[in-house]
Amino acid sequence: MDTRQKLVCRLRVNGDVRECATTPHTTLLEALRYGLALTGSKQGCDKGDCGACTVLVDGDPVLACITLALACESRDVRTVEGMADGARAHPLQDAFDVTGGAQCGFCTPGMLMSAWALLERNRNPTRDEIAHALSGNLCRCTGYTKILDAVELAARDLRERDGGSRPS
Amino acid sequence: MSKPRAPRAAGARPKPATGPARAGMTIPEGRQMPDASRLTPPAHEAGRTGPPNGDAFHTIGKRNRKVEGLAKVTGRAVFADDLTLPRMLHAKLLRSIHAHARILAIDASQALAMPGVHAVVTGRDLPEYFGIIPWTQDEQALCESKARYVGDAIAAVAADSELIAEEALRLIKVSYEVLPAITSIEEALAHPENQVNEKASEGNLSKHVHLEFGPVDELLEASDEVVEAEYWYEGSTHAPIEPHCCVAEYDATGFLTVWSSTQVVHYLHRDLAKVLGLPTQRIRVIQPVVGGAFGGKSEPFSLEFCAAKLSMLTGRPVKILYTREEVFYAHRGRHPMLLHYRTGIRRDGSLTGTDARIAIDGGAYSSFGLVTTYYSGQLLTAPYAMPAYRFDSTRVFTNKPCCGPKRGHGSVQPRFAFECQLDKLAERIGMDPIAVRRKNFIGENTRTVNGLRVTSNGFLECLDAVERASDWKRRWRNLPYGRGLGVAGSMYISGTNYCIYPNEMPQSAVQLKLDRSGRATVFCGISDIGQGADSVLAYIVCEELGLDLRDVRVVAADTDLTPVDLGSYSSRETFMCGNACLDAARQLREQIASTLAERWGVPKGELVLANGMAVAASDPHKYAMTVKDAIQAAEAAHGTLGSVGWYQSPKLGGDYRGGTIGASPAYSFTAHVAEVDCDPETGEVTVKKIWVAHDCGRALSPVAVEGQMEGSAYMGFGEALFETHTFKPATAAHGPGIHHGPSLLDYRMPTSLDTPELESIIIESVDPEGPYGAKEAGEGPLHPSVPAIANAIHDALGVRCDRLPFSPPAVLALLQGSDARGAWERARLGHAGAGARG
Amino acid sequence: MLTLPVFEWVRPESLDAVLRELAERPGECLLVAGGTDAVPNLKHRLHEPKRVVSLEGVAELREVREDDAGLHLGARVTLTELTRLPALQRDFAAVARAASMVASPQIRNMGTLGGNLCLDTRCTYYNQTYFWREALGFCLKKDGVICHVVPQGRRCVAAHSSDVAPALIAYGAQVEIAGPDGRRWVACDQFFVGDGIHNNILKADELVTQVLLPAAARGQRGAYRKLRPRNAIDFPMLSIAVVVRGDAARIDTARLVVSALGAKPRVLGGLDALVAGRQADETTFAAVAASAHKQCRPLTNVPYDDDWRHAMVPVLVTRALRDAFADGAA
Repeated sequence: MDTRQKLVCRLRVNGDVRECATTPHTTLLEALRYGLALTGSKQGCDKGDCGACTVLVDGDPVLACITLALACESRDVRTVEGMADGARAHPLQDAFDVTGGAQCGFCTPGMLMSAWALLERNRNPTRDEIAHALSGNLCRCTGYTKILDAVELAARDLRERDGGSRPS
Repeated sequence: MSKPRAPRAAGARPKPATGPARAGMTIPEGRQMPDASRLTPPAHEAGRTGPPNGDAFHTIGKRNRKVEGLAKVTGRAVFADDLTLPRMLHAKLLRSIHAHARILAIDASQALAMPGVHAVVTGRDLPEYFGIIPWTQDEQALCESKARYVGDAIAAVAADSELIAEEALRLIKVSYEVLPAITSIEEALAHPENQVNEKASEGNLSKHVHLEFGPVDELLEASDEVVEAEYWYEGSTHAPIEPHCCVAEYDATGFLTVWSSTQVVHYLHRDLAKVLGLPTQRIRVIQPVVGGAFGGKSEPFSLEFCAAKLSMLTGRPVKILYTREEVFYAHRGRHPMLLHYRTGIRRDGSLTGTDARIAIDGGAYSSFGLVTTYYSGQLLTAPYAMPAYRFDSTRVFTNKPCCGPKRGHGSVQPRFAFECQLDKLAERIGMDPIAVRRKNFIGENTRTVNGLRVTSNGFLECLDAVERASDWKRRWRNLPYGRGLGVAGSMYISGTNYCIYPNEMPQSAVQLKLDRSGRATVFCGISDIGQGADSVLAYIVCEELGLDLRDVRVVAADTDLTPVDLGSYSSRETFMCGNACLDAARQLREQIASTLAERWGVPKGELVLANGMAVAASDPHKYAMTVKDAIQAAEAAHGTLGSVGWYQSPKLGGDYRGGTIGASPAYSFTAHVAEVDCDPETGEVTVKKIWVAHDCGRALSPVAVEGQMEGSAYMGFGEALFETHTFKPATAAHGPGIHHGPSLLDYRMPTSLDTPELESIIIESVDPEGPYGAKEAGEGPLHPSVPAIANAIHDALGVRCDRLPFSPPAVLALLQGSDARGAWERARLGHAGAGARG
Repeated sequence: MLTLPVFEWVRPESLDAVLRELAERPGECLLVAGGTDAVPNLKHRLHEPKRVVSLEGVAELREVREDDAGLHLGARVTLTELTRLPALQRDFAAVARAASMVASPQIRNMGTLGGNLCLDTRCTYYNQTYFWREALGFCLKKDGVICHVVPQGRRCVAAHSSDVAPALIAYGAQVEIAGPDGRRWVACDQFFVGDGIHNNILKADELVTQVLLPAAARGQRGAYRKLRPRNAIDFPMLSIAVVVRGDAARIDTARLVVSALGAKPRVLGGLDALVAGRQADETTFAAVAASAHKQCRPLTNVPYDDDWRHAMVPVLVTRALRDAFADGAA
């Protein structure tokens, strides 16, 4: 982070209000990773081409590496660190682990964010809908097969937890 | 020291090579080898391939989680760029804007004067040459006298922030004398006077290999059909999603610690010592979790040396994180190759001979190029029996980022050419291409024409599986115009037989700690790069000792804590580390079993350690205790528990110079069928599905094996249709060697919407020397992707895609440039005719 | 990581405050809405503003309203929101389709209608890092004096790469511009100019506030086709928007827009003579396609084979016309 023109940025991250020193030219990704030590979100391409930095802002997946931190003040930011319920992994996280959806694991946090947003909107997506929702997240290891499997598995799990009462 | 000889001669002895390898940089005669006694693996009652506890496996072969899986999915896994140390500086590299230029002077005074800048280093500070292959050390951390490609590193600045470092770079003044640049194989050969790399023995020759086995010309002459064709395999790059990153910290005691996203901790350790002039015992290299590598992190790079040197100068930790653009310049990706093949066949489908001439564009440095040049020929002699074979390969230097080992190092390109040749030959003689492949199957427990020992071989089962799964018999040559099926096969090594530098020490080692807590810790230099290498060790320990997976910790890839493993390259980790781990774990199992056998008065062979319990099979109700209690009993009986296992491959390879390159203790085999749907109006090819059958020996972790199969097929598919690592030709307005688009926008790796459905079919041949019979899975399954797609496009459209990539413009040009529709119809008639004859 | 340059940042809470910022610092400000184009360009040092003016705080720009005049879409409506607007899907399907084909889901969540409309032109010699451009010797559009696409060319030919703009033009959309002298409407096709350095009529103290899709265009048949190397992430290599009035038995008028060629979208000329009063059949489509092929000449600005892209013009035009007349097309 640069030392010039420091501003305090107040972010609501994973439900906590956090303050960190930023500059106008600090991206949300830098603020999360280096300002708040939330290193789960990754940087892969520098400029919005790969999706590794995907986080949720007000529930929508966005690219933190091309989002200015100051633009996120007072907005709701969710990262991979905010997915688990305490020590209990989110069904999506568990599904990625069980199916082999995470090989090197570097695209995984961003991939999870896109999948999370999808399943919050649609508990019963088709495989094609999943592929569309993840089309801005590049994975170099898996050929996407096991990632799609993981999201399908998690959707099934979530539907069961919902007890079928939630409209899909 | 004598030259290596194969321990067992099965099949015919290879004919000695004619025409010795010459020119370029060569391997000195006579590699050092350890005594034969060291190469014999310890004997075990259960044998190496069977289950150690009872009749069935308990952990091996099950769909287990990975040991680091939950850390990765929760964002807890620590990658190199996740590290921040107190007082850490950030450094950036100044890179050459010219493809080829002499560096006359560097003035960094203004940069140094900038507030926030702490140090600047140039080539003079790190003059020592290094290189992954000991005989081709032709790189410096920073160019001292000459830059050899656009992006070659020249200086490094350490500053308070990346931005300050970047601004400081612009204040460094470099005086260049621009030199004529070489940007193609043709130019490299035509203009030896414009020498790219002065370490070359002559001109721009990096390496030349000529090897010949059997009477090639005679057999080609006697063939019923000979197909001669030229193929172009375009360059591509690994593009792991994690860019290279390292942190170096030199402390007050003169001790250097380097955390780096590398896949070769040990080789990095050695080269750091060499370049920095520090003894290896004062350096610790740690591999954090690595975000993909695929061969792209299998050598030391400028960043590690520069971060270390800057830390030594400033006394503060220094981080260097490459931008994505810099990852493209670091490269070491797939070599572009021009391949000329003549292949003969008899009317009955048996192959006669192959004559190959291969020209290889190496980029500016050697990297693994010596090995690449051998691999471009040596790995083509299975799974098909090749009665006679000649290859002549030449690697040249060019003013472009250096090529190296990308997944399927050196053999993906010739495999593409050869599998297309096979398809053409099959068509000539009116035979089903799968039948031709079956007909020439080399078999198991045999030797290839170039002297490679082949043991287990499940290639026929692979062919059967993809034939059945794709409904090949009914659909090949019968799909409507625009749709098609194609097949291809391949083989690959399970580790190279020799260390990169000659020595008599083990290639892989494991230390295993076990104590009364009931917890085991595996210490191993193994490099997990996402493929699940760490987990394989844990599975093996669980299988042997009956422990729960959560009760095993793997401490890996830390030169202070772990015994040496050579790294994650050449698909060696499961086979070599796995064997080392199996031996270590089995020694402890032996101690536990003998303790209990004595206590219970039962034969040792009855002891079963599984699912957390130790029992005697004859009366499991009477003789039972928890494994934890059993461990405590063993600790009481034997003292502190601990064991060491190591792996060293048997002496293998052909008895000729270069005959050890390509030698591996076991080979994997793969067959693919690809289905395509082509748009004849646009030339767009959509790959609908790839069926991948892969013989990985015993699948220790089916999830991981499938992951490797799918990932490999995907990566090959990307190379076939999308990805090119290419450069803009020079114009009057700009110089040569400028990358077309060094970003993940312009380098188009397939997205989830482009990637075909991938179906993995695991074939388990159970190798006699692999851990529980395992072989490789990480690289082999990439090879058939590209030719299977090319052959499918022919089935669909009647055109032969002999040049990569099969992009829409290329396919459309093929369709317009020939009587493609006629060829398509003739292929169908030929098939129908052959069927009628059959 | 590729760094951002140093700049100041303000987040005005009203349109007037934005206009004041622009007026007080002429030429020093960069407006940022979603940032998906601006931020990468800043990282590449293609823009070097003193001050970044965020449009986050201007609520008015997020309004969507339907009235007698047509469908009003605020400039800060995101592309994802566009794809989910029933009125847009129903009446102006080609715009919804175009919005749905921009880049990736994340970029559509961030990117806005106004941002896509004002997307900086793109070129393989321009959308690169500072280092890369320095190795090239820079170009006409930024930091240099020569064009690498058209040697000796004096005008920048960087490619208009917006997906929504061709569709908006095809429907005859109007663009509202606010400036120090108030607001004005211009036809969307008049919004663009053929200068790759700055390819629209916005002055430094102006911004786009909303787009109006005219009521008169409701119910016309529209289609959008995009040629791209991958099925996601990529900018268009060629894009075609077509809107037709009439039915399959008799076409009244048609408007066809081709883009990803030069600095502005090209509205195909002489179309009425080819389609008016004709049936929507392959003969008519072929005539339009041949005319488009003649009128459109892709350049090497877009990093993909220009001859092939030229050959694809008639193919894509024909397919877009077929789409427009396919069952269910509005």
